[in-house]
Amino acid sequence: MADSSNLKSDAIMEQMKQHLATDAGKQVTEKIGLVYQFHIAPKKLGFDEVVYTVDLKKGEVTKGPYEGGKPDASFSFKDEDFVKVALGKMNPQIAFIRGAMKIKGSLSAAQKFTPDIFPKPSKL
Amino acid sequence: MAMRDLVAGAAACGDSSSSSGNPLASLANALIGSSSKTQERLKEIPTSTPTDPASQFYSTALPANHLPGSEFDKPLLEANSQASEFLHRFRGASGLEETWDEIQREGGFAGPRQLVPAVQQPPSAVISGGCAVDLILLLGCMEILNIEEELRMPFHPTPLPMLGLSEGDKQCIRDRSSIMARHLFADKSEEFIDAQMGLGIGPVNALLCSLDIDSNVRGKGPMPERFRELEDYWNESQGNMRPGPPPADGWITEFSQHRGKYDNPDSWASSFEQQHGANGWVSEFEHSQLSSVDQMQGMNMSNFAAMEQTRMLANTLAQNGDPKFQLLLVSGVLIGAFSKRNWNSKFLQFVSKMSRGELIIDDNQVKENALPASGDWATEYDQQYNHGHAWAGEFLNDKACARARNNIILHVYHGPDQWVNEFTTKGLQHDAVDDQWVDEFSKLNVSDWADEFGQKFGEAALGDSTSDSWAQAYDEFLNEQVSAKQKLDSSRGVYVFSDLNPYVGHPNPLKEGQDLFRKGLLSEAVLALEAEVLKNPENAEGWRLLGIAHAENDDDQQAIAAMMRAQEADPTNLEVLLALGVSHTNELEQSAALKYLYGWLRHHPKYGTLAPPDMSDSLYYADVARLFNEAAELSPDDADVHIVLGVMYNLSREYDKAIASFERALKLKPQDYSLWNKLGATQANSIQSADAIMAYQQALDLKPNYVRAWANMGISYANQGMYDESIRYYVRALAMNPKAENAWQYLRISLSCASRNDMLEACDSRNLDLLQKEFPLQ
Repeated sequence: MADSSNLKSDAIMEQMKQHLATDAGKQVTEKIGLVYQFHIAPKKLGFDEVVYTVDLKKGEVTKGPYEGGKPDASFSFKDEDFVKVALGKMNPQIAFIRGAMKIKGSLSAAQKFTPDIFPKPSKL
Repeated sequence: MAMRDLVAGAAACGDSSSSSGNPLASLANALIGSSSKTQERLKEIPTSTPTDPASQFYSTALPANHLPGSEFDKPLLEANSQASEFLHRFRGASGLEETWDEIQREGGFAGPRQLVPAVQQPPSAVISGGCAVDLILLLGCMEILNIEEELRMPFHPTPLPMLGLSEGDKQCIRDRSSIMARHLFADKSEEFIDAQMGLGIGPVNALLCSLDIDSNVRGKGPMPERFRELEDYWNESQGNMRPGPPPADGWITEFSQHRGKYDNPDSWASSFEQQHGANGWVSEFEHSQLSSVDQMQGMNMSNFAAMEQTRMLANTLAQNGDPKFQLLLVSGVLIGAFSKRNWNSKFLQFVSKMSRGELIIDDNQVKENALPASGDWATEYDQQYNHGHAWAGEFLNDKACARARNNIILHVYHGPDQWVNEFTTKGLQHDAVDDQWVDEFSKLNVSDWADEFGQKFGEAALGDSTSDSWAQAYDEFLNEQVSAKQKLDSSRGVYVFSDLNPYVGHPNPLKEGQDLFRKGLLSEAVLALEAEVLKNPENAEGWRLLGIAHAENDDDQQAIAAMMRAQEADPTNLEVLLALGVSHTNELEQSAALKYLYGWLRHHPKYGTLAPPDMSDSLYYADVARLFNEAAELSPDDADVHIVLGVMYNLSREYDKAIASFERALKLKPQDYSLWNKLGATQANSIQSADAIMAYQQALDLKPNYVRAWANMGISYANQGMYDESIRYYVRALAMNPKAENAWQYLRISLSCASRNDMLEACDSRNLDLLQKEFPLQ
């Protein structure tokens, strides 16, 4: 693999990274203007987490925690659940109610985290 | 001190058993204890400014080695052990009243208290002085909440009956009102809060006026230098809360603030310190102590006085006629009886939620709705409390109560750092507990509460999309609970057959299915093929074609399920293995995809020899990719090997290589519509959406009913931000296969991005006729 972990979220993050360079991606950056940090766990929340920073101020996706200070909101997901939320299969509120998504930080920032900020993968 | 001695006689002279049995002493404690002891503590704190000359008097009256509050040790300890016994039993027993009765029966109040006749009263009748304060506070809280709408309306102080509040009580009320104001208006500016609290126009101020509490005179004065740092913490933590959540965000905002508080113990500590000052901290603690003593003694004069006050207040409120107020009374009484001290914070939150309308209560159903809810909260809070976070509890349980208190006060004021550290450790513990709490809460399936929540939001917040979506989320969550069982059935890998299949009983459903598939009627073909595999469950060709039909119909879950059945029937079928590899790639399941793609290679008559037989257990992408490259070199004119290689590169997200592979395969097989779609999808995933649309168009020219390509078109437009176009393509795809779940979800996203919220309902109710009419594809 291109990288060692086998998370489904990797694919989405990778696509997000490229997406943010496009015009549509720049609109997302303009619209949101916040920094999110994602903790993606393969099986169980809090274990073997892979951290991604989705910087929607600068339009960057990086692996690892945010280095420019405190992220506006950070989310913890299981890999599976993150994919569901990013692809619109589960809405973030449901994820939160179910306990599939944990939020730290500003909740008004967290509320701007919606499935439409992520590009959708096309199917072969 | 001197005054208390005067009233209580020898009570403070070391004979603690007599002091505890002496109601006069307790009354004296209740009336003057808090203020005088506050003053005593003040002198221990070098930074606080002794504004009251009386404090000098008290301090000189004390022997140098005398520990302030030590005359309280014994009675407090006993009362508290009873309190904890009460709580302990409460946890075990099912109901509050039973527990209460049980304790009363067993003469639980041993020791000196046996001299005092026990009062057989239902808990709801016992109201401590502290409870009255809380009722007042929550009134203030409600007023604060109401001003969202009535900001500019003049608020007339309501004359309240004489409550006989002590200065300490008043200070307490004022301090805590201002804390609450700050928390409630965390998103507002400091001026706003000051206006609420101080300028004489705000309802809070009006409330305070009506209680004869001056909001300014007893102000805290300038902040001592060493608390600056704490204040900074506070400001910082407040700054983290972003401005502007609309009122309908209600509980979530509150929840975040609540969490924020715990997540940041520093801010918790500093806010408490800042708001109360050293004075408030002590008096608050003192106050809690007193009220719990009062409550347990049950006979105390001041308790009766407090009950009387509360009754008068209750009457005033009852005349108001607003069911909310009445409910507050009920719950206030209940909670006051339970344990006032433990409840301060939770109770207020509970009430403030209620007053915001998140827990709504009809006039006649006040008790029914409120009591079970408070019961739950009570239990939960009780558990949480006993996990050991509360500093108050720790103080109470400490055997050397006053000594410890004194030590800690000294210790604390040695430097803010230590103080903060101490609270930080507590806060960390609490954080863990808090997570549990959240878990518990999310597991709690209180349908009443959720129903009401949804209903209320439905009524109150029409037009507010945020609250709408929350309400919908709740509804969905509830439905989900109901249909949880059904969902289990449709879990992965299990093929779900359609109901009412007209092809069941068809003489040759396989042939019919193949014909339909060729004609491009995918959904019909699916039905015919389902009939076939129901008839012949071991027919690999039937399952395979069914799987392909599903894949083309943009339903990978069903495609995988069908293909797995096909593979069971025919484990070496290359097309099945490739299809499984592709479907798992689409579902982002890398290792499963890799397994099937490798299986394709291994079972291929030509390339099978390339694959070492011992490799199938632990697959590494690099190894498999190398093998496929070897195969491609071996026969560069085999389109299939390029197709598989292209899929492999998709898996590793090497899209340029994948595109090259597919383009090469297309030169060999230009009429393969699924190959055009694969090329398009790869281009789309590597953000070449414009090229992708060309490729999809090729696929659709070859096969107009290719649902997957229509849906992919929609995705490409959506990823370019062209939501209106994407909607048309999604609708087109759905018109051909209404079971394409992904397309429904993407359609929903595009509708909201295109600000077509008016059509969301049609999307949710899957009203295709309306959607097709609204979004025709030119």
